[in-house]
Amino acid sequence: MRAAVAAAALLVAALIAVLVVVPLESLARIAAADGLTGIGRALTAPGSRVAIEHTVAVAAAVTVCAVTAGTALALAVERRPARSRMLPRLLIAGPLVIPEFVLGFAWSQAYGPAGLSEHLTGLTMPGLFGPAGIIAVLTVYGLPLAYLAVTAGLAARADPALERAARAAGASGWTTLRTVTLPLLRIPLLGAAALVFVTAAGSFAVPQVLGTPAGFGTMSTLIYSDLALSAGPAAFTELTVLALALVVLVLLALGPLDLWLARLPRAARPQTPPAPPTQRTRTDRAVMAIVWAYALVAAGIPMLTLILTALTRGPGLAPVPANWTLANFSSGLDGGAAIALARSAGLALAAAVLAPALGALVAGLARGRWRGPLATVVTLAYALPGSALAVGIIIGYGRWLDGSALIILTAYLAKFWVFGHRPAQAALDRLPPGLTRAARLSGARPGTAARTVVLPPLTVAAATAAALVFVLAFHELTMSTILYGPGTETFAVVIMNQQDLGGVGATAALALVLTAPVVIVAALTAWLTRRTGPSARTPVFIPNGP
Amino acid sequence: MAATTTPPLPDAVACAGLSVGYGRPALAGLNLAVAPGETLALLGASGSGKTTLLNAIAGFVAPLAGQIWLAGQLASGPGRLVPPERRRIGMVFQDYALWPHLSVVDTVAYPLRRAGASKTAAHRGARDILEQMSLGPLAERRPGQLSGGEQQRVGLARALAGAPALYLFDEPTAHLDATLRAQILDEVARRRAADGAAAVYATHDATEALAIADRVAVLHSGRLAQLAPPADVYAAPADLTVARLTGPVSVLTAPLTPAGPHHYTLHVAEARATVPATTITSPADTTDPAILVRPDWACLADPADPADSADLPGTITEVRFRGPHTDYHLTTPAGPLLIRDPGPPRAAPGPVRWSLLRLRLLPRA
Repeated sequence: MRAAVAAAALLVAALIAVLVVVPLESLARIAAADGLTGIGRALTAPGSRVAIEHTVAVAAAVTVCAVTAGTALALAVERRPARSRMLPRLLIAGPLVIPEFVLGFAWSQAYGPAGLSEHLTGLTMPGLFGPAGIIAVLTVYGLPLAYLAVTAGLAARADPALERAARAAGASGWTTLRTVTLPLLRIPLLGAAALVFVTAAGSFAVPQVLGTPAGFGTMSTLIYSDLALSAGPAAFTELTVLALALVVLVLLALGPLDLWLARLPRAARPQTPPAPPTQRTRTDRAVMAIVWAYALVAAGIPMLTLILTALTRGPGLAPVPANWTLANFSSGLDGGAAIALARSAGLALAAAVLAPALGALVAGLARGRWRGPLATVVTLAYALPGSALAVGIIIGYGRWLDGSALIILTAYLAKFWVFGHRPAQAALDRLPPGLTRAARLSGARPGTAARTVVLPPLTVAAATAAALVFVLAFHELTMSTILYGPGTETFAVVIMNQQDLGGVGATAALALVLTAPVVIVAALTAWLTRRTGPSARTPVFIPNGP
Repeated sequence: MAATTTPPLPDAVACAGLSVGYGRPALAGLNLAVAPGETLALLGASGSGKTTLLNAIAGFVAPLAGQIWLAGQLASGPGRLVPPERRRIGMVFQDYALWPHLSVVDTVAYPLRRAGASKTAAHRGARDILEQMSLGPLAERRPGQLSGGEQQRVGLARALAGAPALYLFDEPTAHLDATLRAQILDEVARRRAADGAAAVYATHDATEALAIADRVAVLHSGRLAQLAPPADVYAAPADLTVARLTGPVSVLTAPLTPAGPHHYTLHVAEARATVPATTITSPADTTDPAILVRPDWACLADPADPADSADLPGTITEVRFRGPHTDYHLTTPAGPLLIRDPGPPRAAPGPVRWSLLRLRLLPRA
């Protein structure tokens, strides 16, 4: 028994060493190779300084926009009767299933020069290529995170009776919002703000599509272009310093929050029965109109443009049936693209099988005082910006694994481990200790008790985690662009290279191939959930791989 | 004549034709008035519309039809919905509804702050109220650090702080054990006696409703089943549902013959008993009525007293000692019967004679 525990602990330690410690240590080692002066020189190099400023400014702006708008929408929608909440939730969370690169590209086709909106109305979005466009598209990804955090916060902390008590005590609607509702949501809002900031700071695809053409670089895009364009050792040191700085930025945003949250007492939720359904009011209709308008501008019109672009014979032609063709699909999928598609699916499948298994392993083995720290380490690997993690992995394992798809899989596992770990941990935490004891008293041996009582609830968590990891890995671009070699391009990398080459129609066609399966599956799931009634559980943590 | 009498004070609450809820209405056509200073208990099972009625009076839900008048002012009606904060209402909630981010003193000071008091004045007022309710030592605690009973007393203190014209109690003792429940009820009664505000007290507990109220409104499926003083609701329930909601009751089936004004003779096997009975229909209509017997309307024969005239037959199946009284479950030729006698058990399971004191007759539903 003792030997088994020791072996398990060793296994967990080895996993953490391979997936987290080695990449970070490699980064730190190269960054510190020239000592403090080297670090100082790298950070004050004009390119780096500007990139750091851009990253912080963009991430801060996205955080403010996404948290404000997400909170306002959640407060407007989530107080309505349950049956009228499903549709707005889907409309707001919908863009999360579109890869960042695809949505950024779709925006450029919809609202950019010679885009659909110029074609129809003569208008283009000013500043789309540059910080304004980056902030707008990243807000589309940040907003659902804030919305979901507020929704979960409302469900967990803000019993409607608490607001009623304030109203009965003489507070107006606004005063109640200011003195009761928002203070109750302070913790989820801070958590959402940190998450949005970290996601936006680590984003690569959106600044790459919308910033690079305008000469607007962030830390992620600078790391990528440094790695792609210059091979000098000085430049390499500089980019590791930059990657490490990105890690520090993320830790600065997350660390204090984590410490502070750990000390807060948890409030159990009393249930207040919902108010009886009332007739649809004018406010309800106004809220729905705003949500629809938002969803159309954020994702509806861009994705429609993407479809039209993919179907139209050449750039500049009107997207009318006379100009429609499927040639973009066949030319896009020519050559390596189809093989890359298969490779991406294989990698995503491997990650989807391994990540939940590793997550369950850590959750199941880590008991007692190791539970918290281990969860933090696993989460840390996710919070690391993809560019930084990928550079660390190149330095750590490039010697042996360079040019092999294994190095990409390692990166995926490090990044998405948390999505296997969290649901497993949550499922285990929900199990009352009495369950296994009852099984033992009913005659089950330890193994049988674990198999019959503990595993069944874990399978649901593991299946959900597998689906999520598959989607994230299939869409992953940031790490793949840094780690791929000849013969190991993933599908997302092929699409980005296609866009670099200027094949607009083919890029749009491939982007659709990348997006459509997930969107269709997500839409089917949503439709089925709607038909069988709203699910009892609120999705609390739908992440978006930066 | 008109010059010498002062006009009567308007009702504290008056509901006229009140319907709430879209689709299946939670309340349908309710007419109800609470006099100034009166305590009205709303008694009903869960889902009967108690909480909906309180929420409508407080202004949290708009009625579908009908009106709510507060102290003679139209508060809810067609095209009009006075917001909750302008209704001068103090509400005590089933789940306490204490704000987790505020200390006890800040919670009680909240209504005073909203009424325009300065921060120091509000805190002074809050501390006064907490002292009066012996909650002073808890002033700096957060709700998470209080027991259930303490939380509900803080909830009560918050309602008092607003000096409301009307209290609404939404099952305030539902989550409390018997001792704490008595403590809260005492506190409510004391308060009410002190400031003379009217109160509407929702509960599903018959004992509580009968003990606390001037009148009891029994709600069933969103409709008012009966509205009467507690003693009347207990002694003369309007129908079987009300009878079961307002306390333990046995329903007997036996031949019955009229025996003079307000008296009937009950035939149980060979024996018969002539007792006073109340009925809501004329004697001619009482063919095969439901015969209601409260547990204190029958008693067991005293074996020590040879002159005891109890002669109805039965068999005790179960004896339950409950402290101040004992419950005897009998099977009789007229059906199962519960008898509640004061004191410890004085009969064992087996054949027994019993006598009847009074009856309530209702048409079978």
